[in-house]
Amino acid sequence: MTAAVRRRGGAGIGRTRVPLRATYLAILVLLYFPIGLLFVFSFSENTLLTFPMEGFTLDWYREVFEDDALLESARNSLIVGVLAATGATLLGFGVSVAVVRFRFRGRTGLVALAGLPLVVPFIVLGVSLFLLFIFVDVPRSLVTVAIGHTVVAIPFATLILLARMGGLDQNLEDAAMDLGATYRTTLRRVVVPLMGPSLLSAWLTCFIVSFDEVAIAIFLAGGDPTFPIFLYGQLRFAQRLPVLIAMAVLLMIGTVTLCLIAFRLGRRRV
Amino acid sequence: MLARTRPSHRRPAAIAAAVGATILLLSACNLIGGEPQELTVLEWGGYEIEDFWTDFQEANPEVAVEFEFGTSDADILGLMQAGSPADVFHFYTGWQEFYVDEGLVAEIDTSKLTNWDAVPAEMQALGQVDGKQYYIPWDWGYSSILYNTDEVPEVTSWDVLFNEDYAGHVSMWDDGPGAVTVSSYIHGYDETAVTDEQLADIEAEWTAQKPLNIHYWDSEYENLCPEVISGDIWVAYAWQGCFSAALAEGVPVAYANPEEGRNSWVGLYGISADADSPELALEFLDMKLAELTCENLVTQYYYGCPRTDVMEGITDEFIIEVLSIDDPTVLERTNFTPIITAEQRDAWTQMWTRVKAN
Amino acid sequence: MLGRRGALRYLAVPPYAWLGLFFVLPLVLVIAISLRPETGPIDFDDPWQLSLMQYQIVLETPAYLRLLGISILMAATVAATATLLAFPVAYFLTFRARERATFYLVLLLIPFATSYLLRVMAWRLMLGQEGAINSFLQFVGLTSEPLDLLLYSRAAVVLTLIYVWIPFAALPIYAAMQRIDRGHLEAAADLGAGPWSRFMRVTVPLALPGALAAFFMVFIPTVGEYVTPSLVGGTEGIMYGNLIQDFFTSAANWALGSAFSVFMLVVTLVLVVVALRLVDVRRVAT
Repeated sequence: MTAAVRRRGGAGIGRTRVPLRATYLAILVLLYFPIGLLFVFSFSENTLLTFPMEGFTLDWYREVFEDDALLESARNSLIVGVLAATGATLLGFGVSVAVVRFRFRGRTGLVALAGLPLVVPFIVLGVSLFLLFIFVDVPRSLVTVAIGHTVVAIPFATLILLARMGGLDQNLEDAAMDLGATYRTTLRRVVVPLMGPSLLSAWLTCFIVSFDEVAIAIFLAGGDPTFPIFLYGQLRFAQRLPVLIAMAVLLMIGTVTLCLIAFRLGRRRV
Repeated sequence: MLARTRPSHRRPAAIAAAVGATILLLSACNLIGGEPQELTVLEWGGYEIEDFWTDFQEANPEVAVEFEFGTSDADILGLMQAGSPADVFHFYTGWQEFYVDEGLVAEIDTSKLTNWDAVPAEMQALGQVDGKQYYIPWDWGYSSILYNTDEVPEVTSWDVLFNEDYAGHVSMWDDGPGAVTVSSYIHGYDETAVTDEQLADIEAEWTAQKPLNIHYWDSEYENLCPEVISGDIWVAYAWQGCFSAALAEGVPVAYANPEEGRNSWVGLYGISADADSPELALEFLDMKLAELTCENLVTQYYYGCPRTDVMEGITDEFIIEVLSIDDPTVLERTNFTPIITAEQRDAWTQMWTRVKAN
Repeated sequence: MLGRRGALRYLAVPPYAWLGLFFVLPLVLVIAISLRPETGPIDFDDPWQLSLMQYQIVLETPAYLRLLGISILMAATVAATATLLAFPVAYFLTFRARERATFYLVLLLIPFATSYLLRVMAWRLMLGQEGAINSFLQFVGLTSEPLDLLLYSRAAVVLTLIYVWIPFAALPIYAAMQRIDRGHLEAAADLGAGPWSRFMRVTVPLALPGALAAFFMVFIPTVGEYVTPSLVGGTEGIMYGNLIQDFFTSAANWALGSAFSVFMLVVTLVLVVVALRLVDVRRVAT
């Protein structure tokens, strides 16, 4: 019986007539088309994005490096992203270990709380923090943006780390403690290394979420714009578009490279 | 065996210290003195270009000028009230009293302004509240109808914004007080004393007008000019900035002289009461009134500037036409923006919010 | 077990504190401010008065209620369509792309690494009257004049949001499908069920929690969307979130804006609870 099933082939149980791969690829094309369009236009000489493209040039890419305000906004986003990703990953780690390894009164509450920011619309999160900072007289700055982004990123980090933590064999920790280690040491030398790839994934996910986030950042930024805020303000100038696209392409390549490196590193640890 | 349990709590502490030091170092790169001074300006989109503060930059090359942006008078007031770090802010006539009432603006000592005498007295007066000088005037210009002459015959009245022939090709400014102003012109209401009944009528007509718009615009160069140039917008409430931009692209446009009269506004700069560097801010304002900066405003944006010598020295026919400098009838029929009260401001912006919700 | 319990403090307290301070407290503040009767920005030094005035305004202005309703419908459309389109994607990743699943997944997620704003701008260019889609339609002869409903309309907002959310919606469905025990499917096959029947009676019900999670994860944030409508919505596509944005920027009225926010949260919460109840009842029924 089972032999017959296996012979029907492939991964699934039998083949369906639904063109799944075609659907997948069609959706992929849909997703990539605008990006492809942008990529192509970053090389166009014409500043108005029309068809057909006129002339090929690398000028826009060169201009990216000459534009101080643009580079500064990217740097600001980097700072915010690192702060938010680190904060969210640390806090998410705390939640996942606490919830999986301990029994305590606020346990379900903690998980629920950690996931709650996902179900509150961004504008409400942005506005509420905006009001909070005014109430306590804290001026808006990159730090306030990072605080907002940490709140938004915590659910992502928690979900990723919870999943991994759940699969971790508690015996390893118990063994370490039997050998005399404190729980803190156990965490540091057993749990963290085992969770390495997940920690990295969580960090990267939070970073990407923060880097591209604009709806909350608009309300929390002070004089230093993040890259998306800068973009949002520059979209008004049609002739600026190619430079902005060139920058976005560079950032995308950077992010993807980072992810691939992290992915490779993660692979090796197993 | 016991070697394993060596006090390892020093290691995390050391790491934390290293991380902390790095962060401090990175942030210190921004904050430590020996760094150039900073001036923050709360501006409207497009006004951050260096041509508009070139004299200041030449006199103070080491000062880093940062810009924060607002999209309307209400937005700028809101940002200032929310505690913007700006030292200098820019807004338009009608809103002068709010900043004074809320204690957001510092008085200006005009004796310290080297360029003050070049500004005509009527303009100087615009920056005064209760006899005290709080603001300097800078850019001035008109609001009128910008229209595409290929698609729209000569515009003689503001009510072209309500003309259904142009459905899908109209664009109104996203501003409640602006809408009230237009309606007041059309129906002859007293702008300074709009009754509740009139306001209800105004709300009804703009609600009916909403579908005619391709969209409301809130930033000239972002969502008005590109579409005027591409031909998607045929009729718009506009300042002359897009008029000049469209003409430069060869688009057949005209800037109307409606029978009800154009609206005229004057831009004002003030120093924040919480400014970190009030002397620097004052110098910034002074340099705004300097000749070259003033001239750039006229030649680049086709907006008027407050120096009589610069305005009288304009010979470019085109600019004279755009600003209607030598057409006395235009100025006679022009309605200058009156000061509005807080209740009016609130009522009119709430009215506009309801229009948008419909 | 020495010191284990002590570590709990360092693990659980910081997240609680952070979220309490920067998530719960601000929301409480919003509720508190929504009960103030002032218009315009709030001066916190003023005495704190209580009033239901703002909620009265919201409930008594039909335009506002209608806009919330429309925004909810738009969000539901976006969520449903994105989930539906994400379903085959997740299925493909789980059941068809075995060895190269991660590769395909990464491919799906790369668009996320590109700036959301610029992707929306690209759509704006494509949908505009001079844009790619209109040129294509005219070229092919389906239309003789540019369609102006593609940009600056509700449709444009919905389409753009679906496009942005699909990769995201695929993730929970993929996660749920991955956990499906192939044994169930094999058993069904052994009992004589055809592929479609296996799909409908085994895969779908088991993947349903993932699909529901995807739906709500897209639905709830989208109700409060404001950035996309401001870029491609025009006047028709103005959503409830845009008004809240106005209340905290150009049409400053923090108390009313707060009431708007609370009202939206409450309505959305009620809808979600009702929807979950409905789904539960149906699952029990089958």
